[in-house]
Amino acid sequence: MDFKRVLIAVDGSENSLRAVRYAAAILGGGQGYAVQLVHIERLPERDMFPDESAWSGQCREHSRAMRDFLEEARGMLEAGGLSGETICSQYIDSCMARPEGAEDCSHGRNIALEILSIAEEGGYGTLVIGRRGVSKAEEFLFGSVSNKLIHHAKDRTVWVVS
Amino acid sequence: MSEEVRGLVERYMPEFPVRRCGRVFTDTTQFMDINHGDVIELGGLHYLVLKDESERRFGMEDPKYWVKRCRELETGERKILKLVFFERFPLKVGEFEVQCYRSPKKESRILDLVADDPRFMHGVTRPDDHENPVRILDIVQGREIGKYVYAVKADHEAYFREHFPSVLDHFMEACGAIAFLHAHGEKHGDIRRDHLFIEYGTGTYRWIDFDYTFDFHENPYGLDIFGLGNILIYCAGKQVWNMGNLREGGFPDETLDGLDRGDHSLVIRNRVVNLRKLFPYIPAELNNVFMHFSQRTEVFYDTVEEFLDELRPCRGLLG
Repeated sequence: MDFKRVLIAVDGSENSLRAVRYAAAILGGGQGYAVQLVHIERLPERDMFPDESAWSGQCREHSRAMRDFLEEARGMLEAGGLSGETICSQYIDSCMARPEGAEDCSHGRNIALEILSIAEEGGYGTLVIGRRGVSKAEEFLFGSVSNKLIHHAKDRTVWVVS
Repeated sequence: MSEEVRGLVERYMPEFPVRRCGRVFTDTTQFMDINHGDVIELGGLHYLVLKDESERRFGMEDPKYWVKRCRELETGERKILKLVFFERFPLKVGEFEVQCYRSPKKESRILDLVADDPRFMHGVTRPDDHENPVRILDIVQGREIGKYVYAVKADHEAYFREHFPSVLDHFMEACGAIAFLHAHGEKHGDIRRDHLFIEYGTGTYRWIDFDYTFDFHENPYGLDIFGLGNILIYCAGKQVWNMGNLREGGFPDETLDGLDRGDHSLVIRNRVVNLRKLFPYIPAELNNVFMHFSQRTEVFYDTVEEFLDELRPCRGLLG
């Protein structure tokens, strides 16, 4: 496990922007880092929309905004001093928007475990994520990716930026 | 008055007062216009509307104008027709407000999934002639679990020792039904004790009403698990015990003085979940399951299976 291989998980929120900014400040001056930005697509629930076209319109909007966000995050890391060649971005599509049987897509049921699986596969020794700062009751009802990451991550460092 | 309706009613339901006969609807879009005595025609069958369904909550009658209690004229069977009503509304869960959506698509999907499963209500979806998907539901003849438990004529200890073990057996089966939904990527969405019926005759525990949905990504089944915990704790306590009614329970002062914040529900903060403090004969292992829903807990159940894994061994402690 290489702690200089850094995985930054983002979801487009102000909290994840903060995490990117923090990572840029810490890693920017150093040498030998490889940074991977990853977004696991989380589409709105289909059931919330009266028809397929309303849902797919919202999905397209979400996808466009998140790809822009990844570009913005990359720019932030470069501005912090990391070289462009050391930064990769990955957008993992939701299986909901993919044809049946498509590989490398997310079922979105456990984002934290999916992030950990990417980290394991890529040998990322450092994980960076933003934190919303939820209460215990909110975590119980609605979940918390950062808390789940902390609970499940083994043999790697997790930076939870709040 | 429609001659067509009168003819249908006279043929299939002659006891119905003809003066009450209304119109035949093949388009259910304007469900507020469909009233007692009207007939809804779907897929060649005719449903005489008897009344709008309603829910009784907090002592008030809450009419559901999009849910019609009907008689299927051709068979004489009683049915509930749920007409399409897209709705987004804030739902209060403890101190939180969450956006809830009413989704006919979701309910139809689950009805198809559980069509042969006695642990759920049954029904089919038929489009009206404007392609509105109408759910035609069989009525579950039974009693809500909460009302059943509350009505058992026994003090708490006798109830807990003699009746609760059987309630727990059936409740665990009902939890298995929810785990089945989750395994298929579906959530119930509205797990409450008035949505779990004990069917007359068979005693089967059956879930009803699956049309609520939420947009929770990190923990899609958290609200369902919260609902299961609430029902379990209600059944074990034979009622809700909260700050408002503890005095009526006849508990000694030292028992009540011994309750602290950590003994209460994490989400509904005035509700006692540490029931062993009120009823010391409740086994500690079972009480530990309740405590996962308390303000003291540091660990949550992520899945219904985790919840059941800790609940099942408790059954053997109850005799």
